Amino acid sequence: MKVILLKDTDGKDREGLFHDKVLDALQKEGISDKWKLVRVVDIGIYNRGVALKILPAGFTYTDLTEEDIPGIVRKSIKEGKEIKEKISSVKDKQVKIVLRNCGVIDPENIESYLETGGYQGLKKVLFEYKPEESIEELKISGLRGRGGGGFPLWMKWNFARKTRSDEKYVICNGDEGDPGAYMDRSVLEGDPHSVLEGMLVAGYLVGAQKGYFYIRAEYPLAISRVQKAVDDAQEYGLLGNNILGSDFSFSIEIRLGAGAFVCGEETALIASIEGKRGYPSPRPPYPSVKGLWGRPTVINNVETLANVPVIFTKGGKWFSKIGSPTSKGTKVFALTGKIKNSGLVEVPMGITLREIIYDIGGGMLNSYDIKAVQTGGPSGGVISKEHLDTPVDYENLQKLGSIMGSGGMIVIDESDCMVDLAKFYMNFCVDESCGKCAPCRIGTTQMLEYLDSISKGKASQEDIAKLKKIAAAVKKASLCGLGQTAPNPVLSTLRYFEEEYLEHIRDKKCRAGKCKELLEYTIIQEKCRRCSLCFRNCPVSAISGNNKEGFVIDNEKCIKCGNCFEVCKFEAISRG
Amino acid sequence: MPKLTKDNLEAYAKKAAAHKVKDVIRVGMSTCGIAAGAEEVYEVLKNEVRQRNLGIEIQKCGCSGKCYAEPLVEVIVKDLPAVVYGKVDKTFALAIVDRHVINGELLNDHIFDVQEANGDEK
Repeated sequence: MKVILLKDTDGKDREGLFHDKVLDALQKEGISDKWKLVRVVDIGIYNRGVALKILPAGFTYTDLTEEDIPGIVRKSIKEGKEIKEKISSVKDKQVKIVLRNCGVIDPENIESYLETGGYQGLKKVLFEYKPEESIEELKISGLRGRGGGGFPLWMKWNFARKTRSDEKYVICNGDEGDPGAYMDRSVLEGDPHSVLEGMLVAGYLVGAQKGYFYIRAEYPLAISRVQKAVDDAQEYGLLGNNILGSDFSFSIEIRLGAGAFVCGEETALIASIEGKRGYPSPRPPYPSVKGLWGRPTVINNVETLANVPVIFTKGGKWFSKIGSPTSKGTKVFALTGKIKNSGLVEVPMGITLREIIYDIGGGMLNSYDIKAVQTGGPSGGVISKEHLDTPVDYENLQKLGSIMGSGGMIVIDESDCMVDLAKFYMNFCVDESCGKCAPCRIGTTQMLEYLDSISKGKASQEDIAKLKKIAAAVKKASLCGLGQTAPNPVLSTLRYFEEEYLEHIRDKKCRAGKCKELLEYTIIQEKCRRCSLCFRNCPVSAISGNNKEGFVIDNEKCIKCGNCFEVCKFEAISRG
Repeated sequence: MPKLTKDNLEAYAKKAAAHKVKDVIRVGMSTCGIAAGAEEVYEVLKNEVRQRNLGIEIQKCGCSGKCYAEPLVEVIVKDLPAVVYGKVDKTFALAIVDRHVINGELLNDHIFDVQEANGDEK
């Protein structure tokens, strides 16, 4: 079927001008019965005006004017030739490895996974490769842990493999707790078998017979789909004794996380599976040497495991060709915040933040300019807009004071306050600190208090130095990853946006208008038309007056909700 | 169900290689889709296809990543490219069956993704 896709939704063709123009041209050429013209919302091309894509030829033209239409219809559509000088080079920048089956297969049907080549990787590992060869394949692939640390997978598995023990374990870490991140949930919900296959491969290679899925209880759909996958795999002989007729036996149990952020940390997670309180413990010994019930344990993130089957079906060499020199493969990000296309994106490592935000994410949501990007959740930091062209990989993000983390990516615009942001994450860390070690328990609370007083305009300049000092101490002295990384949002916002902190302290101003205590709403009498809209919308009756004499805001009563500011049609309310 | 063996699995691989794309309607039913109302859309599509005896499979699937446009419905029918419709509600789901599946039209202003033509290569 021949189809012409017309993207005109950048607001340039509200009257359907282009649509009619193309139809006219098709009629003139006498080919309107052979072609279908359809107006689309999205074909992966953004901020490039009106675009046309011709299928099946695949020619794409962007930034079109009305004059271009007849030529394109004649040459490209009727004669099937491309117009070289106008053709667009926009390509889909996403590479789907982890999400290869998400949105394609039926996650509740094992046959659906098998028909797309499922469990072929496991078959290769069981029957075609020696275990050493499989580990070598992983080494060639260069796959590193996707949970945040970025530790080479083959090394982790090799440690566990070489440690002698009567029993060994494999754990899938599905305790995804970063605010704004949901990659693991989507993979578990959309393609549970690929994670299961990854666990089986891990089990075989390290010599484990038992695996645990640790999934947070807040993901009921993920849990039920994983349970269904485990049951089906059992029925098909992909779990249990003598898998696929080999001498490898493996079973899997699901454990639910009760919603503690710290349990995403591997030692705390292991304690939680053991039925103990989710407290972290010092490393070393690392879990791959001494983990669950004191036995060697391989613990990997959902996304890491979902990569494993592909490495064996397509080869480590193929995998290593994707990505940057130090970070191979792809990374899934949960793109959220002030972005048009919020959702999951899977991109090759080494892509720039700018490409992710503008070419995949479609650009900023509102009219505000981009200010920064937050990656890595409460353990990560912000990256200011000056660094948008940095290639994304483990090392580069670390250099910029953030981390790759599990893959949350929050786009921040000029209407967001950096102090407020740091406060939000610190609040989260205070809540989620398990309390075992003093630096984290006391340090995070102290930092929150300083941030709070800055946001209220009650801090002094020396407080910033104190904040930095505490942050350094918490980073250095905390027991586990939660505490060691908790100061990151504060440190990175201070690194790029210290001026904004100083504005709060010195000028008692919050330029984004987020820190309520620093705001004062007043009515600009010259602009006010006495419409009384603000008066009627004030929830605490802080606005008094009448239609004749005008209105005033009583700042004693005002709760700074911003209602009046929002509803005023004449911009007669000032905020500052 | 007899247990799978190495050879069975090979058969699946061969089947996969020779896999012909069937006509199918996929509804994104991850948490993001369900929150946006995908369950209702799924039911409507299922009923409609059954009542009209269309013999097209309605399949649940996971999230394809375009969470901002949920509920997403992908329609793959012969001679037309695979099309992903976004922000689908009950009424639009009926339009998909009526106009896309039965009449072979593509519907304006709701398409969020198009894959290369399906059925042309074969």
